[in-house]
Amino acid sequence: MSMDTIRNSFDGDSSVLSWETWNQIKHTERFVFLSSVLFVLLFSYTFGRAPVISDVFQGYHGLAMTILIWSIFALGFNLLLGQTGLLSFGHAMFFGTASYAAALFAIHVYNEPLLVVLVGTLAAVTLGVVAALILLRLHTVYFSIVALAIAQFLYFLAREPLVEVTKGINGLDIPRAPLLGLVELEHEYSGLVGTLLVNNLYIFIGAFFVAVVALITRIRKSPYGLIFKAIRENETRTAFVGLDVWRYKFAAFILSAAIVGLAGGLMAVNTQFAGVERLYWSVSGDIVVMTVLGGLGTLAGPVIGTFVFFYFKGIVNGFPTLGNYWLLLLALSFTAVVWAYPDGIWGMLTDFTAALRDPKELLSNARQRISDLVSTGGDR
Amino acid sequence: MALLETRGLTKEFGGLTALDGVDIAVEEGELVSLIGPNGAGKSTLINTITGQLSPTAGDVTYAGTDLVGMKPFEIAQLGVGRSFQTASILPELTVRENIQVASFAAEHGSFRVNFLRRRDSFDAVQEQTNEILETIDLDSKADMDAQSLPYGDKRRLEVAIGLATDPDLLFMDEPTAGMSPTETEMTVDLIGDLLTDWGMTIFLVEHDMDIVFDVSDRIFTLHQGQLIARGTPEEIREHPAVREAYLGGGDGA
Repeated sequence: MSMDTIRNSFDGDSSVLSWETWNQIKHTERFVFLSSVLFVLLFSYTFGRAPVISDVFQGYHGLAMTILIWSIFALGFNLLLGQTGLLSFGHAMFFGTASYAAALFAIHVYNEPLLVVLVGTLAAVTLGVVAALILLRLHTVYFSIVALAIAQFLYFLAREPLVEVTKGINGLDIPRAPLLGLVELEHEYSGLVGTLLVNNLYIFIGAFFVAVVALITRIRKSPYGLIFKAIRENETRTAFVGLDVWRYKFAAFILSAAIVGLAGGLMAVNTQFAGVERLYWSVSGDIVVMTVLGGLGTLAGPVIGTFVFFYFKGIVNGFPTLGNYWLLLLALSFTAVVWAYPDGIWGMLTDFTAALRDPKELLSNARQRISDLVSTGGDR
Repeated sequence: MALLETRGLTKEFGGLTALDGVDIAVEEGELVSLIGPNGAGKSTLINTITGQLSPTAGDVTYAGTDLVGMKPFEIAQLGVGRSFQTASILPELTVRENIQVASFAAEHGSFRVNFLRRRDSFDAVQEQTNEILETIDLDSKADMDAQSLPYGDKRRLEVAIGLATDPDLLFMDEPTAGMSPTETEMTVDLIGDLLTDWGMTIFLVEHDMDIVFDVSDRIFTLHQGQLIARGTPEEIREHPAVREAYLGGGDGA
């Protein structure tokens, strides 16, 4: 590098240079991977035990694990809705079925957490194949509603006719078993590891979280990521360039089912329980809220949405007086965020950070946004 | 044998006959145009050939293959490309990504299991995408969202997507509609390049009669679902039925 180029890069706009570098780095797989590892390392601590911060959140370790698992659920759901544009109102079917399959395998066949999670995932994939054959013939609202109908069918099936197998509303209890027959999941660490990660169960769940983030990042960077988006944008056009839209939708559906099934299996291991409420329609609704609130089609969005949802459900719920209205407060925040920022909380954050680099733009963006809202009545 | 051939192609919507026994043959390497007044059945003919609609009766063969009953993606994979009348682009994808989607279809076929490989590791696809970007002169705007392109560029991107599918036969549905004179001229030049340099066969639907008479080897004239005339530009210009049905209609368009 000559002195001139060096001087140019400093004399030019050094802040622009660094932003450009940052823009390149933040999209690399390595950066996403390291971020997700860092997130898992710090999440439980900042949420549950860190001085001052944790008091603000009033969270605790168990809820941190629940949030990680539901984040996997939301990431899997987002692959179908955000990436491919298919809105399923029945994704509880994969979560609940995987949970049951995991529990039944643990109770009747062999109780080893890794294998149990795998069985849950495979059960969801199997169900996904059958559901996709029915659902992918349908479009728009019919797709959504029939997905809901299938999930509700499974809910009632598990609740009454299959009560011998599922134990109905009582559900199935799974004894805690060591990982690979060696590692006790509830073993608690001391020292730094103990402060950050607490126990093996958290590491077990956190590892799956990191793996799912890495998998989804890779899918987004693969031809599939592009083709899923193309289908979302214009299905007819995608078919006319010569792509078999049905097969790609099928692939998106199965990948989504597999990731949600993984979450369902993990939930069974985490709670040592599988019950019929995981098949219930409200689970399918909650995951839509989490994903849309956080930011459709993004990587961080579903995780943020899940966090906010559980923050309201688990923590605002406990506030004096206000707590009784947590669902109302969540609904109001949801409406407010999605009205002003169709890309959800993550879209709001990226808008802010982009604008912070250029305050003039912040002002003009805000003006634009307000005039948009006034002129369209927020109808976007 | 002709590259594309229809025999007795008929399409009825309820009681309405949109296509009435259309026989056309397109030879390899030629540029044919389809003209006709609004509602003559031009779009229906293209949609029926490319698999969006299934004919009520009649045959369509492409390079000896029967196209009737095939899905649009299968027909596209055979080498029949299409650019749409309204810019049918993928709005939230970048210009490059729009073309890349079609390049993947051309390089990898209709479906392939490769969701664990990065897009940027497929060199042939990247090369083809860059080549198309250059050909269509959109490389300076490659990283813009397609939706933020000016109208003329959207139309050119539409053609670029059609090109990126690497077709042997390309249907172009009013490629110059709404373009400025300069853009129109560029598009006409591009059509010439496609014929000579790329060796494509082109099936053009166009309202601008100057372009049609200028570039076509042969012209088909459709009127109320029936093919009323076919021939070279000179023959069509002088054809009495065409003059009556179409050109004689006053403004010539």
